[in-house]
Amino acid sequence: MEASTVLQSLISGLTLGCIYAALGLGLFVVYGVTRVLNLAQGEFVMLGGMLTVSFCSMGVPLLGAIVLAVIVTIISGAALYLLVIRPAKNASGSTLAFLTVGFAYAIEGTTLLVWGWEYHSLTNFLGSSSIHLWGATIFGQAPWVVGMTVLMVVGLFFFFGRTMVGKALRACADEPLGARSVGISIEKMALLSFMLAAGLGAVAGATITPLTMTAYNVGMPLTIKGLLAAFLGGIHRAEGVILGGLLVGLAEALSAGLMPTGYHDAIALGILLVVFLSRPQGLLPARSGAG
Amino acid sequence: MRRLGLVFCCVALLVVGAAGCASGGGDTYKVGYLASQTGPYTALGLASTEGAQLAVKQINDAGGINGKQIELVLIDDKGTATDTALGAQKLVEVEEVLTLASATATALSHSVIPVLNDNETPGVIISGTGLIMDQLGAWTFKPSSCEFDYIPLPLKYLRDDMGATTIATMIENSGYGEGGEHYLSSIAAEMGMEVIETQHYDPAATDMTPQLANVKASGADSMFIWGSGPAGALAIKQAREMGIMIPITTTPAQSSFRYYDAFGEFYEMDPAPACLDNKPAIWPQLDDSDPDKAMCQKFEEDFNAANGRIPGIYEAIGASFVWFIADGLERADPDLGDLSKARSQLRDAYEETEDLSVIIGTYTMSPDNHYGRVVPKEVLVSFKDGEKVLVRTHYD
Repeated sequence: MEASTVLQSLISGLTLGCIYAALGLGLFVVYGVTRVLNLAQGEFVMLGGMLTVSFCSMGVPLLGAIVLAVIVTIISGAALYLLVIRPAKNASGSTLAFLTVGFAYAIEGTTLLVWGWEYHSLTNFLGSSSIHLWGATIFGQAPWVVGMTVLMVVGLFFFFGRTMVGKALRACADEPLGARSVGISIEKMALLSFMLAAGLGAVAGATITPLTMTAYNVGMPLTIKGLLAAFLGGIHRAEGVILGGLLVGLAEALSAGLMPTGYHDAIALGILLVVFLSRPQGLLPARSGAG
Repeated sequence: MRRLGLVFCCVALLVVGAAGCASGGGDTYKVGYLASQTGPYTALGLASTEGAQLAVKQINDAGGINGKQIELVLIDDKGTATDTALGAQKLVEVEEVLTLASATATALSHSVIPVLNDNETPGVIISGTGLIMDQLGAWTFKPSSCEFDYIPLPLKYLRDDMGATTIATMIENSGYGEGGEHYLSSIAAEMGMEVIETQHYDPAATDMTPQLANVKASGADSMFIWGSGPAGALAIKQAREMGIMIPITTTPAQSSFRYYDAFGEFYEMDPAPACLDNKPAIWPQLDDSDPDKAMCQKFEEDFNAANGRIPGIYEAIGASFVWFIADGLERADPDLGDLSKARSQLRDAYEETEDLSVIIGTYTMSPDNHYGRVVPKEVLVSFKDGEKVLVRTHYD
C-alpha cells in the first residue's frame, strides 16, 4: 500500500467529513430546538448550490451570488416551518419527519422544473490550482470546505453560548415550559432554527458545489449522510455531529482507497452499524442542560 | 328478464371496450417505453425518451406503420430496478402494450427480462453488457451494444495513437461496470495490453481521489473510466486536478455536453479524454463514403430542430429502438384483435430482422440470437474549443 494513497484517503475523508458535518449541524440546529428531524436539510444544501450557480450565471459576483442564494434558501426554510411544521405542530415526531420528506420532494420537483436535470458546477473560489503534498493532492476548493465547517462550528458555539437569542434557542430545547414562562416565544425560536439550518445548508451548498457538482436530485443522499453523521456522533451535541461527520467521511474514503473492492460503501456502512449497535445513543450522548 | 338483458349489454360493452383498448383499439400500435424521468439516471432516461419521441413523431407524420400510428406509453422507471420491473408489469398487464423498451441503464433493463418472458411479450432492452446474452430468453431482444463490440475502439486509440501498453480502470459499481471490468481485461490481453490496476466507484460518488491515488501509484500509462453516471465525468476532473495526465478513454455517458459544460477546462487538457460516442454528434466529420452519414445528418438536424441541441448517444439509442420496433411491426402486421397472437407475431418478426441499419448498429436477429449486432457504429470523440472532434472510428 502506497503512503500517498493513505494520505490521499485521509485528505479525502477529512473533506467529505466536513461536508457531512455541515449537513449534520443543520440537522442538529433544528432537532436541538424543535425535536423535529428535518429530512429536507439536504435540499437546502442543493438549493444553495443551484441558486449560487444561477446567480453567478446572471453576472452576479460570487460573494453576492452566495448571499442571495442564502437569503432565498432561508426563505424556503421559513416556508418549511410556517407552511408544513407549524400547522401540524401537535403531530408526533415521526409524522413531522415524514412531512419534511414531503417538503423535500416538493423542493426537488420544483428544482427539476425550474433548472432541468442537468448537472451544474462552479469554478473554485480561488481558481483551480491544487496543492500537491507528498504524492497526495488537496483540491483548491477543499480548504474552503474545511474552513466553512470550522466557521460554522465556531459561529454556532458563539451563537448558542454567548448571544441572548442563542441562549433562548437552547432554553426552548432544554426546558420549553420554563422558556415559555420567561416570555420566550417557542414558535419564533422554532422558526428561527429552521431559517438558521436553511442558511447553514445554503452556505454549505455553495461551498461544496465546485467540488462535487450539483443537480436537482443531490439533496436526499446528502441528508442521509448528514443523518449518519448526526446519529453516529450524537445529534444532541454539536461536537458529536462533527465527530460523526468526520468518522463517516474517513470510513468512506479509507475503505474506497485501501480496499480493492466494489463494496466500500457497504464496508463503511457496516462499520457504522457496529457503532450504532454498541452505542445507540451515539458516541457523544446528550448531557443535561446542553444545547 | 329485462335486468338480465341490461347486465348482458353491460358485459358486452365492457368486453368490446376492453378489446378496443388493448394495444390501441385497432388504430394504433401501443408501445411501452420505460425510462428514467426522475432518479439518479434522469439525464440518460430523458435523453433516450427524447430520441424515441422524435422517431415516433417522424414515423407517425409519415403515415405510421401499416396505416396505423404508434402510441408511445411512457412510464418513469425512477432509476430503480424495482420500479422498472413494476413499470414493465403495468405496461404488459394494464396498458396491454404490444411490445416495450427499457431504455435507461443496464441494471434496470435486466429487471424487465423475467416480466417479458413470463408474460410472453416481446421487448427490447438497453443492456450494455454481454454477460446477459444467455439469459435473454425467448421474448427479450437486445438491439443495443455489448462491451466486446466497442472496447477494441478505445483500446486501439490508447495502443496505436497514444503508445500505451498498460491500463488502469475506474469501474462504476453497477451491472454495467461489472460487464466492463470482465471484458476489458480479456480484450486488452488479446490486443497485447494489460490492465494493471482496477478501482471501483459509486455512481453517485463525489470524491474519487483515494481510487485515483491508486491509479497514479500503479504507474499505468493510460486510464479507462467506465460508468454511466455523473461520477465518471467528475473522475476526469479530479484526475486532471491531481496531475494524472495520462491518456483517458471513457464510456459514452462522459461524452455528454452536460458534463463538458460543467468541466470543459478539464475535458480540453492535453491529452483530451477520448469518449465513446455516436455518429450523429459528429456527422459532418464523417467520411463521405460512410454509409450512415446521411441517416446521421438527418437525425441530428431533426433532433436539433425539435430540441435545440445536438443529440448524444442515448438519444440515438431511443430513436434506434423505435426504428427496430417499427421494422418488426411493419413486417409482422400483427392481428390487433388478439393481443396474445399479435405479440407472438411481433416476436417472430423481431427474430427475422435482417441487416437493419440504425444509428447505433446494424442488426440481423434469429431465434438463437437476440443480439444480432453485425456492424458496430460507435466513434471516439474528444472536445476542442467547445466542439466535439472525431478521434477514431471502428475502421480507422
